[in-house]
Amino acid sequence: MTTTRSKPDTDMPSSKEKNNIWVFGDYRNYFRNRVTLQLISRARELAEKTGAKVCAVVFGHDLDEYVNEYIAHGAQIVYVMDDPSLKSYNVESYVHLMADLAGKYMPDILLIGATSFGREFAPRVAKRLSTGLTADCVGLEINDEKLLVQTAPAFGGNLLAKIITPNHKPQMATVRPGTFTEQPHDDTCTGEIVRVLLPESDNMPKNRIRVISSEYQPQRDKKLEDAAVVVCGGRGMGSKKKFKKLFDLARLTDGETGATRPVVYARWAGHETLVGQAGKNIRPQILFSFGISGAIQHTAAVNDSDFIIAVNKNPNAAMMKIADVAIVADANQFCSALIRELRKRLRD
Amino acid sequence: MLKLVVCIKQVPMVSELPWNSKTGTLRREMAEGMINPACKHALESALVLKQEHNCHITVITMGPPMAEEVLYEAIAMGADCGILLTDPRMAGADTLITSRTLAATIETRCPDFDLILCGCHTSDSETGQVGPQLAENMNIAGAAYIEHMELNGRTLRMKRVVDEFLETLEMDLPGLVTINTRTYIPRYVPLDGLQNAFEKQDIKLIDADELGIDPKTIGMKASPTRILDVYSPVEEKKNVVMKGAVKKMVDRLFDEYGDRISAAIGKDLKTHDHDEEQT
Amino acid sequence: MDFNPCMKHKLVRKSAREFAETELGPVAGEIDQNARFPEEVIEKMRSLNYFGLQIPKKYGGAEIDSISYATVIEELSRVCAGIGLCVTVHNSVGAYPIVRFGTSEQKKRFLPALASGERIGAFCLTEANAGSDAGGVETNAVAEKDGFVINGTKIFVTNGGVCGTALVFAITDHENPRKRASVFVVENDTPGFSVGEIEDLCGMRANQVSSLFFEDCRVSRQNLIGRLGDGLKIGLMALDTGRIGIAAQALGIAQGAFDASVKYSKERQQFNKPISSFQTIQNYLADMATEIDAGRLLLYRACSFKDAGRPFGAEAAKAKLYCSELASRITSRAVQIHGGYGYSKEYDVERYFRDAKVTEIYEGSSEVQRMVISRAVLSQLS
Repeated sequence: MTTTRSKPDTDMPSSKEKNNIWVFGDYRNYFRNRVTLQLISRARELAEKTGAKVCAVVFGHDLDEYVNEYIAHGAQIVYVMDDPSLKSYNVESYVHLMADLAGKYMPDILLIGATSFGREFAPRVAKRLSTGLTADCVGLEINDEKLLVQTAPAFGGNLLAKIITPNHKPQMATVRPGTFTEQPHDDTCTGEIVRVLLPESDNMPKNRIRVISSEYQPQRDKKLEDAAVVVCGGRGMGSKKKFKKLFDLARLTDGETGATRPVVYARWAGHETLVGQAGKNIRPQILFSFGISGAIQHTAAVNDSDFIIAVNKNPNAAMMKIADVAIVADANQFCSALIRELRKRLRD
Repeated sequence: MLKLVVCIKQVPMVSELPWNSKTGTLRREMAEGMINPACKHALESALVLKQEHNCHITVITMGPPMAEEVLYEAIAMGADCGILLTDPRMAGADTLITSRTLAATIETRCPDFDLILCGCHTSDSETGQVGPQLAENMNIAGAAYIEHMELNGRTLRMKRVVDEFLETLEMDLPGLVTINTRTYIPRYVPLDGLQNAFEKQDIKLIDADELGIDPKTIGMKASPTRILDVYSPVEEKKNVVMKGAVKKMVDRLFDEYGDRISAAIGKDLKTHDHDEEQT
Repeated sequence: MDFNPCMKHKLVRKSAREFAETELGPVAGEIDQNARFPEEVIEKMRSLNYFGLQIPKKYGGAEIDSISYATVIEELSRVCAGIGLCVTVHNSVGAYPIVRFGTSEQKKRFLPALASGERIGAFCLTEANAGSDAGGVETNAVAEKDGFVINGTKIFVTNGGVCGTALVFAITDHENPRKRASVFVVENDTPGFSVGEIEDLCGMRANQVSSLFFEDCRVSRQNLIGRLGDGLKIGLMALDTGRIGIAAQALGIAQGAFDASVKYSKERQQFNKPISSFQTIQNYLADMATEIDAGRLLLYRACSFKDAGRPFGAEAAKAKLYCSELASRITSRAVQIHGGYGYSKEYDVERYFRDAKVTEIYEGSSEVQRMVISRAVLSQLS
């Protein structure tokens, strides 16, 4: 049974409320953004080794929906700061509240989803708590010393680093969305909801950033990252005109078009299509790669694709080596033939 | 005059890294350095502000003596002067300690700054933490992932897209921004700028003692995080190679992988019919 | 003596390489095929001062040292030799004679437009009957009241089709064998100046090489560079400077072909291993690397002599001779390493192979370089 209690923020935590694993409740863009649920799930697995409880911490207003979701997905305690003044996402006040709470409750581990907000929020909290923070983790384990071993990518994912924070608490990490799998929604799960009262407004920081406007605007380039099919092209397509065929192919496959840096710099395609170090990382179910030689900045950004079909006249191109299917052909010609065949197959 | 401070990092040029594919090790010491790509966008944004307003740009980097090169490059692009924090004791600092060292530098060397600009991501360690942590250290307003800036008097209006929200923000200077990589595409280095940068020689080298910072608070020893291991992830793929006539290869693609393609695009591609025709 | 490139030269190389690879790289094959001058890229080069490399700052130039200059030309040519050629000819023989011999009046009048690249420079010496032998020049300039009337035809003019300012080598005194010729600035808007068809060449096709026609072209006395009869002196100096640029260009072509070969030999598999694992290929690559290094050292010596104000004619000739011949050898080897692919336009080495040859011919053929070098050698001995 889920229990609820309220406590002022000055109330000191009991010993069982210390040394837990905390997950920041990032609910913006929920239901699509499920990183909090993924982290709760992983935190439960980690907690088995440390004996800790898994707690979600959520700030905002009208939060019941999320609080119940967190419990249904495995959170054992949810700390809630619910106040109309917290209605919109705000880095400064959220940092203040999180640093304040974590400073008191001393969680062993604090996990934050690597959303844009999380990436701005986490380092500030880490600084306030004078602790370490590992960015954009793709793996979390507990080692024999009960320390959190954080796996983080370096050099565009060409290398992975295992990082620990041995002498500081909490051990903090931001975690790349999609790294872990959430537990199924289970209404029978129970947890404790702790409503922490907001500090006196005098003790809240004055916001130095004024939000003039904030509109939800689903981004095209976000779709590129989420797309099930991506059609990616490089200089090997030959010209701007020929490159346009890739947009046709993307339309036919309900996919998105991506481009390499030389293509973007030659203005065959917009910057929002850039796949690579300075652009997007993609992980589609199928990646069609046309005329891309495969500079490391690009291959690192597409390496997580489930299935790569690469077309290049050079069988030795790096992109051909990482492909599941490497087709030795002129990218432009093959693209035209593929479009023809797809049209035929889709027509009736 | 508006005083801008741009913090940049020298990173290894990954494309040129001597790479041992068998052991997966990176011979980093052999690599050429370059300005971290995201930092270059931050520098570009400062240069754009300088074109519109009366600005003085100081570029700061922390690194080995060879990192001086990125300061020359920044000055060649249009910055006014550079500061190189270089001290073997500073090596191995994580983001928390780096931001603290940078803050101490700005507080003592550029105390009258108006705006600090940082990149939003480093290409080597893949973090984006120094900017926000620097704002915390300096106790100033800070905003991340900025794509557009407009300055009116002492008020900076900013645009950004974060988590699919298009936001317009404002801050009063002094403040800090980290610049996204989608806009402010960096300019090329002009050759006259390069010549002038080396003639002007406006770069100061500073070590921990000159900075007046306690050596116990800098470098790897002071950093809360520890790197246990760095390794190359192993990949295994089948890598089927197709050669021959284009039309035949298209057919083969659908024959062998049609189901997979169908599933991904969520449409029936009649691959089974095609199979039957073939048999 | 420090053989490590200094920070400045490293940065010059990186900057020029980044520009060349991102801007010229995508178009290099196409502009070669279509013999097209890529105005869209040239416009960017103008703003980055590629046309003012060694022009004094007060006229809008960058005034970089000669090793930096050679590095820029090498990096442009490593990606696109035709544009590398455009830049070096513009700077070394199109603009430098004015820097060196022009009056301050002339510098003020001509250099800013050259430094900004608004006017691209050319140097016109070669004619139907005059190549290695400048004595065969027939274009003449006849003095009249306020200036000169130029008549004649120049052929194979590098940058001819796009030049805004041509330096024209013309006969002004048929009698005096040592003071026969003079050099004039002729702007492309001068009445009587016209451009012939763009030549259909084997390589360097992006460069708009053409004939230039001068029919009763009237220029003022202020368009004469140096004194009357200084033509040969100016021409020889221009060629010395030009040779540094051509050596750098040839080196760039060789470096491009070498880089492509290294990459290809690591990727290309035969007998189930990369061809770079075969000793023959390893030997090829070792020889190529050694020759390129040797050529670069020769070139840098000529550059440092020039910047130190020492005579550098023989050094420039050696660098030009060696670099142009190594470019031909190395590009040929590069094609060999690429096998059939290297003989196809799908691979850049095919273009490098075609581009390399002419570096042995223009700006003083290999035979002329040997003449210059042997003269220096023999005069030392006597």
